[in-house]
Amino acid sequence: MMARVLSRLAPLLACLGLLAIWQAGSLMLNTESFPTAIEAVRAVPSILGDRESVINILDSLRRMAIAFAAALLFAIPLGLMMGRSRLVASFFNPLLMITYPVPKAALMPIIMLWLGVGDLAKMLVIFLGVSLPVIYHSFQGAKAVEEKMLWSGAAMGLSAPQRMIRIVLPAALPEILTGCRTGLVLALITMVTSEMIARQSGAGNILFNALDMGQYDTVYAMIIIIGAMGIGLDAAFEKLRSRLVRWSEPGFDIPLSFA
Amino acid sequence: MNARALTSEVLLGIIPIALAVALWQAISSFGYAPVTLLPPPGLVFSRLAQQLGTSNFQHEIASTLFRLFAGFSIAVILGVGIGLAAATNPVVNAVVRPIVRVLAPLPKVALYPALLLLLGFGHESKITLVAADALFPILLSTYYGASMVEQKLIWSAMAAGTPRRQILFKVVLPAAVPSILTGCRIGLVISCIVVFLAEMISSTDGLGHMLVTAARTFQAVDMFVPLITISLLGLILNGLLQGLRSYLLRGFPEV
Repeated sequence: MMARVLSRLAPLLACLGLLAIWQAGSLMLNTESFPTAIEAVRAVPSILGDRESVINILDSLRRMAIAFAAALLFAIPLGLMMGRSRLVASFFNPLLMITYPVPKAALMPIIMLWLGVGDLAKMLVIFLGVSLPVIYHSFQGAKAVEEKMLWSGAAMGLSAPQRMIRIVLPAALPEILTGCRTGLVLALITMVTSEMIARQSGAGNILFNALDMGQYDTVYAMIIIIGAMGIGLDAAFEKLRSRLVRWSEPGFDIPLSFA
Repeated sequence: MNARALTSEVLLGIIPIALAVALWQAISSFGYAPVTLLPPPGLVFSRLAQQLGTSNFQHEIASTLFRLFAGFSIAVILGVGIGLAAATNPVVNAVVRPIVRVLAPLPKVALYPALLLLLGFGHESKITLVAADALFPILLSTYYGASMVEQKLIWSAMAAGTPRRQILFKVVLPAAVPSILTGCRIGLVISCIVVFLAEMISSTDGLGHMLVTAARTFQAVDMFVPLITISLLGLILNGLLQGLRSYLLRGFPEV
């Protein structure tokens, strides 16, 4: 019982520990550009209390959610098809390989030339960033599905699309969700960077504008807010994941890949 | 798989890339997009070839590569070290695990402004960011690789008289190598992405900086060149790592 409580509290303790290290570090360095943790935490409510900032941050999250959903709808079917068909896999693999090391947010300036600085450009960039890991993990998951299950399905008269939805999709689900989790963090990263490049609105914009104007409290407070969003979204997704695939082997509680 | 099947697979894979380039060419040559927005592929690649010969461009690539390798090496050393320690020592594990759990999903790019303020605009802040981003996949895959080592292997080694201290290096580390290399591969791709982004945010040299300068002056051709270069660099580095992998794992059963 005690151990369980402790393991539940461990991430919280880790947060507090990190904040304490920060506090000690800033007290030791004592420079203006590195405020203490307490000062930064104190600046958080003033950002969250500001109407405009909240609208900006919610705007960012809305873009991220739409792009994330669109990427899942596109990437999961593609990944599953690649996993089940060698032809499809060898068709798309090289293309994915050359696009993998390209920073998606770096496409922002070019996409902005075509689509302007609006929502569409930012959502497209997030979409691209999320798609790759989700495709990759769905591909791996679908490839590992046991042939015997598919044969039994076929013997029982399931058509190919039915087999895909009723056998391959559930069997690959744990792996797909791992990809989605990676994709979620990436969506957040791409969101921040895209807004930093197209300085117009959003959480990334607040962060980097504050940096340019030398409002160091705001910089660190925004880092805390964005960091908390990452940790919160990841924890929420992990809850959902463990519900959806309770039957699968107890997965790792930390996402394995972060590509 | 025989060689012929492999060749046909490679050929099949070239099709979508060729199609993409053809589409790109068609869009620009039929005038759907002005050259200022989408320069034709021939122009971009000849520009790339021309740039590759200039010492200026080589200098940019060199500084990007330097940061990439420095950050990646730090991430490998720390990741493998901490991962092994956490997998073999329960006390370390109890400390590291919650910290990793909190830090891994943190968007590291958001830390970059803080790194800039603390470490300045030079190499240090970028290398730190690359290391911070590449660290976690390497650490986690080392950890899982090392904690999945078959107990039988350890018992056999102990039965054969291997001292406890040496088991880590003679059994656990080699057995975890495939997993570590997978982590390194992911970390390498991330390093490519992150170094470029960091250079875009604040830099005076490097490929990312080239892109930003080109974007400021609306030189579309020069915007494509660094992007293609980083993609090629990623491919080359990935190939090198793949080579290292097949060299290191030559005795391992196929996974």
